[in-house]
Amino acid sequence: MNSLPGIITAIESNEHLSLVDVLVGQDSFTAMLLETPQSAPHLKVGNRVAVLFKETEVSLAKNLSGLLSLRNRIKATVRSIRHGEILSEVVLDHHGQTVTSIITSRAVKRLELQQGDEVEALVKANEVSLMEADNEL
Amino acid sequence: MIELTLKKQLLSSSGEFTLDAQFNVAAGEFITLFGPSGAGKTTLLRCLAGLAEPDAGRIVVGGETWFDGAAHHSLPPQQRRVGYMFQDYALFPNMSVRGNLEFAQPRGADKRRVSELIELMALGEMQQRKPATLSGGQQQRVALARALAAEPRLLLLDEPFSALDHATRVRLHEEVLAMQRRYGLTTVMVSHDVGEVYRLSQRVLLLEQGKLVQQGTPAEVFGVGHAGGKFSFAGEVLAIEAADVVFAVTLLVGNQIVRVIATADEAQRLKPGDRVMLLSKAFNPVLVAC
Repeated sequence: MNSLPGIITAIESNEHLSLVDVLVGQDSFTAMLLETPQSAPHLKVGNRVAVLFKETEVSLAKNLSGLLSLRNRIKATVRSIRHGEILSEVVLDHHGQTVTSIITSRAVKRLELQQGDEVEALVKANEVSLMEADNEL
Repeated sequence: MIELTLKKQLLSSSGEFTLDAQFNVAAGEFITLFGPSGAGKTTLLRCLAGLAEPDAGRIVVGGETWFDGAAHHSLPPQQRRVGYMFQDYALFPNMSVRGNLEFAQPRGADKRRVSELIELMALGEMQQRKPATLSGGQQQRVALARALAAEPRLLLLDEPFSALDHATRVRLHEEVLAMQRRYGLTTVMVSHDVGEVYRLSQRVLLLEQGKLVQQGTPAEVFGVGHAGGKFSFAGEVLAIEAADVVFAVTLLVGNQIVRVIATADEAQRLKPGDRVMLLSKAFNPVLVAC
């Protein structure tokens, strides 16, 4: 599980859903939750949280341009790649934080990914969970 | 419909305790008594049916006093007109299905009610058969029909479906609900099956050591409000197998076996027998009717 420390900067919610913005370093992350500040008291602007998302939910892009509906775009450098037959694990460095992506080996080949490459990691907001910073997973 | 106040001294494996309950049930309402074994749930049903006598208290059903401790009055079971359904069918083995239903009717009752029940509950094919030739699910449907044939003013269900497989149980739930609504039957059930309680009852009374500790709608009592936006299930790791750069982890969750993907890091910290929480975002699961 990828876990990045952050601080909640904004919350937009209706009766059931919340869109929560979290500042991680210099970057803003967004999480879409089936929770509201009423049902989950830790959702409060200024609270420290861990931004969690599974490695298999992280897509990678190289030389990305155009418009994209995705809110979470992490500029990062490829630190290492472990090639498997079907899947490969790509470890990224994002301002000293580690973000791991598991994508198909086919995609690694197609993107010609190599150590040191500049890429963007993409995560849909509804794949992102937030956990109170004090809790360890 | 039911006004109940009762006290009764009970003996359980952990010693003596007092069943001390007070509640009302509205006409046509379906309530469930829920709680650990030995909390006094079945005793409460038996007191309603007249099969056990409270030490003190009052039971008034539909304006008629069934039990009054102070007045030493207790209406005999056969005069209470209660439909009682247990886990173990208790059908008369020497009578046919139809015979069982007819025998349960009050004296002078209309025989058409038996025919109506046989038709409504699709028992026509088996009406001349003896109970021993029927499956567990079929016997329990007959037991339900028999309880209804008695034209009960009150339906009592004591873990009626716990011996049945899941699919049969769900079918019977629908049948019970349909019948309960059709006849507007006030119903009191004892069950340990949360799914069953959730589907059938309008109100749950939580009983612990003879005391009523909580009551509300199933959603309130089972705390759906607290589950929030994440699923979490307790599971046990059964096996961890390498699958390329990731690992396939086999888990036992409830009585289902599921497999999930874990990273090398996560897999390293797990071993078979470990207890884990399985978390998922509410957005991921796909629902398919089955």
